[in-house]
Amino acid sequence: MKTIDIIRRAGRSLRHAKARTILTSLAIAVGAFTLTIALAAGQGAREYANTLLTSNIDPQILAIAKDKSFFEGGKTGPQEYIPGSSTIARPNGALVKRLSQADIDAIAKRSDIVSITPTYAINAQYITRSGQKKYTVDATTYNSGITQTVIAGSLPALRTSISDTQIALPEVYVSLLGFKTAQDAIGQTVTIHLERTPNITEAQIQQALATNNPQVLTALATKQTKDADYKVIAIVGKSATALSATTSVEISNNSAKELSDFSTIGTDNYHEYTIATASVKPGVDPAMVKQALVNQGYGVQTAKDLQGLLFTIVNTLQGIVIGFGILALITSVFGIINTQYISVLERTREIGLMKALGMRGRHVSRLFQFEAAWIGFLGGVIGSTIAVVAGLSLNPWITSTLSLGDGNVLLIFQPIPIILLIIVLMLVAMLAGYFPARKAAKLDPIEALRTE
Amino acid sequence: MIEVKGVTKTYGKKQNAFLALDDINFVIPDGASVAIVGKSGSGKSTLMHAMSGLDRPEKGQVVIDGIDILKLKSKAVDRFRSEKIGFIFQSFFVQANESSFDNVSLPLEISNISVKARKKRVLEALQVVGIDDKEKQKARNLSGGQKQRLAIARAIVNRPKIIFADEPTGNLDSTTGATIEKLLFGLNKQSGSTLVIVTHDEDLAAKCDMRIYIKDGKIDKIVSEVE
Repeated sequence: MKTIDIIRRAGRSLRHAKARTILTSLAIAVGAFTLTIALAAGQGAREYANTLLTSNIDPQILAIAKDKSFFEGGKTGPQEYIPGSSTIARPNGALVKRLSQADIDAIAKRSDIVSITPTYAINAQYITRSGQKKYTVDATTYNSGITQTVIAGSLPALRTSISDTQIALPEVYVSLLGFKTAQDAIGQTVTIHLERTPNITEAQIQQALATNNPQVLTALATKQTKDADYKVIAIVGKSATALSATTSVEISNNSAKELSDFSTIGTDNYHEYTIATASVKPGVDPAMVKQALVNQGYGVQTAKDLQGLLFTIVNTLQGIVIGFGILALITSVFGIINTQYISVLERTREIGLMKALGMRGRHVSRLFQFEAAWIGFLGGVIGSTIAVVAGLSLNPWITSTLSLGDGNVLLIFQPIPIILLIIVLMLVAMLAGYFPARKAAKLDPIEALRTE
Repeated sequence: MIEVKGVTKTYGKKQNAFLALDDINFVIPDGASVAIVGKSGSGKSTLMHAMSGLDRPEKGQVVIDGIDILKLKSKAVDRFRSEKIGFIFQSFFVQANESSFDNVSLPLEISNISVKARKKRVLEALQVVGIDDKEKQKARNLSGGQKQRLAIARAIVNRPKIIFADEPTGNLDSTTGATIEKLLFGLNKQSGSTLVIVTHDEDLAAKCDMRIYIKDGKIDKIVSEVE
């Protein structure tokens, strides 16, 4: 018997048992729905992560730490003490080694590195401007490798830093510092105030004691302060595709270094940095530079590595949803087995007749397996169609609820994975139909056709 | 020519063994109409199953056109049945959900006949039995007589050499039964195929060229009007 004829007969017998066919395939449809959504959400999340990265991060940028343990959360437990090396404790107790100024200088000398910027520790006390209140502030280095949403003013092009006298403020400071609108703030001067406890050398103390003047001693013990003035170049807002929350004010690399040096001079933190950002020369593969630096013992991550990390998270979440879909499928497999067994029992006579007419057991078995495959196909089509229709109509709502930003959608349906999914479901259904089909194939026609 | 030689079939094992067929021997010439007559439980259905290759008796031969079908492999037996044999049953065994056309088309599908040839032959067969106007009707909507006509169409569509009819009129009223009998004997004479009727109905048996009486698994007597 030709396969096409078997498939046709299988399709017809399913049509004759419509209610049973649809109910059985609905069980598969639940699995198909879940899997289609999982595939679409995974694809959507990956594309969203990609959009985030490409719109935020310069692909030529490297994050460099003293060793790779930094990116693995640091080493816990006691570590061997190495003279001259500096470590810092993470909140979880893990220790990470820090980059020294020598490391920074060495990397900066490389021909394939355009610039390197350590993250400076700036202990600013407050930010203010004349006639306004003082507010706490967190100052960071302006990152020329990240695109930011500018509300007022303007920032220089990618890979170009702001000048040493300029500052970019997050939106929140506009009203705090008494500006009516963001535009009003542009070009105005703000002041960052720093303090440090004095580091007094023995010689200084002896000198002061020698003067025998209490004022000199008091002056020596007085906190030292620094006021740095900057012109506001831009007000930075929050963007839907922004990775970093912009609550820090941004100043140029040199300014940050100056402020950091002022705060840390004489302390353990002077010229010690947990991490630095380097920009690789355009045209040079960041992965190559990474490898060279890793060979020297540094811990390095490229923009691609970050992408990989995000993708790992997305894939894990997607895996969980797929797991649920597979659970639903396993349930439906038992549904198919049950229905097909009943179908074989109901159609004993028909099977007996077909075998009496010379139909091979193999073909009888195939007839029932194709029926199961049809059920799988139907379930797959129903489930994925509902998923696509529901997904496409909910996408705008999801985008606005999760504020993903215009043009970004969470669920991206692609035809090929859906088609593959339906094929897989058909195979699974055929597999489920195997045992009932085998029972049908082994049926004895004489027994089946006994009239009594 | 069908030669049945020493066919013996036992059901059960050891002490419970029951001899359903005990050393059956006879020869049926081509084109004959034969009645296998016996009471229920006499072994006449078992004999039909053995002759059609549905059952395998442990001893004996069933030689059809020079081939012992009991020695064939299961695949060859299946093919033999699909090509050389037509079946008609007391309770019709038509597929109620399928149309008349698809019912008759089944044996042709089994023996891999092309769609085009199938259509032609199915319509011819329906015409022969006189229900070509019911081509698209579901079998369940046919009357008893029409269902048996449909079963006959299915039996003859593959132009078999032998048609086995197991109590073909058992479920029909006498008038319908008579038309079906007429149809069967007419086909037997026209096509030259051998007709083997299994029945306990003496009147029906009397219309056949040859009557084989079975009693308790043994041949009681053979009455033949052909040489």
